[in-house]
Amino acid sequence: MTQEITFWVLAVIAVLGALVAVRRRNLIHGVFALMIFFAALAGLFLLLLAEFIAAVQILVYIGAVGILLLFAIMLTERVTGDDARDITSRGSFWGWVAALAVLVFLLLPAIQSADLPQTTEPYNPSVKALGQQMMNPYVVTLEVLALLLTAALIGAVAASQGGEKKKEDADDA
Amino acid sequence: MSLELIKDILLATVPLLVIFPSLFAFTTWMERKALARIQNRIGPNKIGIPCTRIGLFGLGQPAADGIKMIFKEDIVPRGADKLFHLLAPILALIPAMLILCFLPLEFPWGKFMSGQVQAFLLDSAVIFFFAISGLATLAIFMAGWASRNKYSLLGGMRAVAQMVSYEIPLVLSAVVVVMMAGSLNAKEIADVQTGFNWFVLTPWGLAAFIVFFVAALAETNRSPFDLPEAESEIIAGYFTEYSGFKFALFFLGEYIAMFAISGLAVTLFLGAGDGPFLAVAPWLSVVWFIAKIFGLIAVMIWLRGTLPRLRVDQLMAFAWKFLLPLSIFNILLAGMSHHVTVAYPGTTAQVVTWTVSLVGMYVMAKGLDKISRSTAKPREYLYAE
Amino acid sequence: MSILGGGIFKGMAVTLRNFVGSYFSKERFITTNEYSWRPESELPQSIGDYPKEEGEQLSDTTTVNHYSRNFPMLLHDTGEPMDTIRCVACQICERECPPQCIYIEKSTEKKENADGKPQFYPAKFDIDVSVCMSCQICVEVCPFDAIVMNSQFELSTPDRFGGLLVRRDDLLKSNDYYHKIHPQEAATRDERMAADKAAKEAKKKAAAEKAKAAAEAKAAAAEAANESKEDTE
Repeated sequence: MTQEITFWVLAVIAVLGALVAVRRRNLIHGVFALMIFFAALAGLFLLLLAEFIAAVQILVYIGAVGILLLFAIMLTERVTGDDARDITSRGSFWGWVAALAVLVFLLLPAIQSADLPQTTEPYNPSVKALGQQMMNPYVVTLEVLALLLTAALIGAVAASQGGEKKKEDADDA
Repeated sequence: MSLELIKDILLATVPLLVIFPSLFAFTTWMERKALARIQNRIGPNKIGIPCTRIGLFGLGQPAADGIKMIFKEDIVPRGADKLFHLLAPILALIPAMLILCFLPLEFPWGKFMSGQVQAFLLDSAVIFFFAISGLATLAIFMAGWASRNKYSLLGGMRAVAQMVSYEIPLVLSAVVVVMMAGSLNAKEIADVQTGFNWFVLTPWGLAAFIVFFVAALAETNRSPFDLPEAESEIIAGYFTEYSGFKFALFFLGEYIAMFAISGLAVTLFLGAGDGPFLAVAPWLSVVWFIAKIFGLIAVMIWLRGTLPRLRVDQLMAFAWKFLLPLSIFNILLAGMSHHVTVAYPGTTAQVVTWTVSLVGMYVMAKGLDKISRSTAKPREYLYAE
Repeated sequence: MSILGGGIFKGMAVTLRNFVGSYFSKERFITTNEYSWRPESELPQSIGDYPKEEGEQLSDTTTVNHYSRNFPMLLHDTGEPMDTIRCVACQICERECPPQCIYIEKSTEKKENADGKPQFYPAKFDIDVSVCMSCQICVEVCPFDAIVMNSQFELSTPDRFGGLLVRRDDLLKSNDYYHKIHPQEAATRDERMAADKAAKEAKKKAAAEKAKAAAEAKAAAAEAANESKEDTE
């Protein structure tokens, strides 16, 4: 019972947060609404006993992605956020219709026909088990991912430095 | 939800909500007193018992401050975002209070709990600690942005940049401990260190502790990393436009965060509640824990009285060019010393790992320092020399 | 080769010494009390007792005051303050002041200054204590060495509207007083001013001589030209 109430509260918060994030013209409000959505999602993970995923959800999505978005917005001219109105457009009705159509005709049948495992036994993977899975069967995948991320990081550094050099060259010329 | 569970939760959380805010009041007094003495002043000494002339070394000062804060007018700037201006101080306090739950403080009344509801028993307590403590950044940005004041926004932006940068060396220096303890569970990390097997007494632990402490100073916006609230530059930074109780909430949040991060340092490196006489009186572990937190807080105050503030470029360079490579190098050293001591048990291996680690760390630090000095240009001032 | 981070420990040792020392020696508190050299019976008891005489706040025993800078003051040379005031109301400090706490009104007519040169003078020169942040930028920008920092810091007043605006006549202090409170700085400033003056005069003299020489040369050249002209004719 408690779990169900918690689920519905979190679900409603998540959906409302997502809606506000999409509809606010004020970008900062939008980002914070998005973070509420992420937080509610973390709560849902906790409810599913996936505590590690919940922690990572907070760490990565709120702590990193959200702050990155804030940084990006701070570099634009919309940082003051004077516009308090919601985004409205004449086509929004058809947008709703399209979204509902996707929900009704694609998602619901997909969920209904999916063969979800029906288990009453709570599955509670410990962080240790997760780590061992990552280090044993999936170690190659992990290393490849790490390599990819490192390459991306080096690429980002190189790209930013290359831009500066180009600018300097332009200044010289 | 059963009554038992509610009782357990109250037993686990209420003591934290009582003890730490009272310690906060005492710490403000201690800080003002210590700073005053460092500057050859007396510090607060008038307010003691009301209606008498008994000063009690000014111990009544926090209470007087609290009363003042509550009755002060709450001013919201006309252009401010009203909702965010209100939410920011609350959001600043919540993560600070939440992360207190992840400290392995084992109160003697723990044995009256029927289940395991303490958050530090979570399998991933340390990750949760870092995840939630990162939320304080958002509150600070929110405050800076909502105030609609250029100084506030500058402070907020500085805070975000600083806290994001210093979180990385903070986490990487904690990774060493997680590697060695083989667990993210705060209780297990504490248990590994019982009997004075503190991680700070190992070469990699010592280095990690220093990096962690420096990063923690920056993470809690303490001097010399108090750029987000640099009085001489940007008035009061992100809480320029806050007064009265909202300001008090920020203040409280900041100090609670200090306790929490010191508590994590104690958990990870200083053996948590470990100390003498535990066999006689197990309840002493809480006392040791809080005493160690206070030791770290005292060092923070001491540093605040000593060091001048960093410049923004120095701050960023210090995080990315000094602490980050150092903490990554420390992880390598920790792995090396672990495998060497496992493969060759005995004092010789111990001595060798100690020497190699300390010399390696020092050479690395010195080299990084030299590199940063060779690339840094002295700043040119127009008026000062 | 210095030890990495050694400076921090050195600084911490200093602050620790201060911390411990403040419990044992009363003299350490001297920096925070302008009147600390006085016997207790002579300490100001109420606001009216606060002396405002020149140099009164200085202790003979402490050198700390020599390095303390708190609030600007206007300098005048020996003589009647308004006759020898150095300020010419150029208003550079008013413009440079970051918190904009200086208010200057230029005089309408010129008056002779200490050098006997007719100059403007400030008809009004007020500084707001409550706004001033003691940044010393006015001192840095003043081309006439007319404004320097005073070390008097007990500036509290019972009148919060008028009293916090320090007027010209209260700001005026003699150069001798300046020598008394900041001997080193005043000496170097005087030296530099004298050198500047000498250099200026030398330059003037050189310029005058040069002009004279040029005029002579010109005259000679003209004469020569005339002569040659005559010759051709």
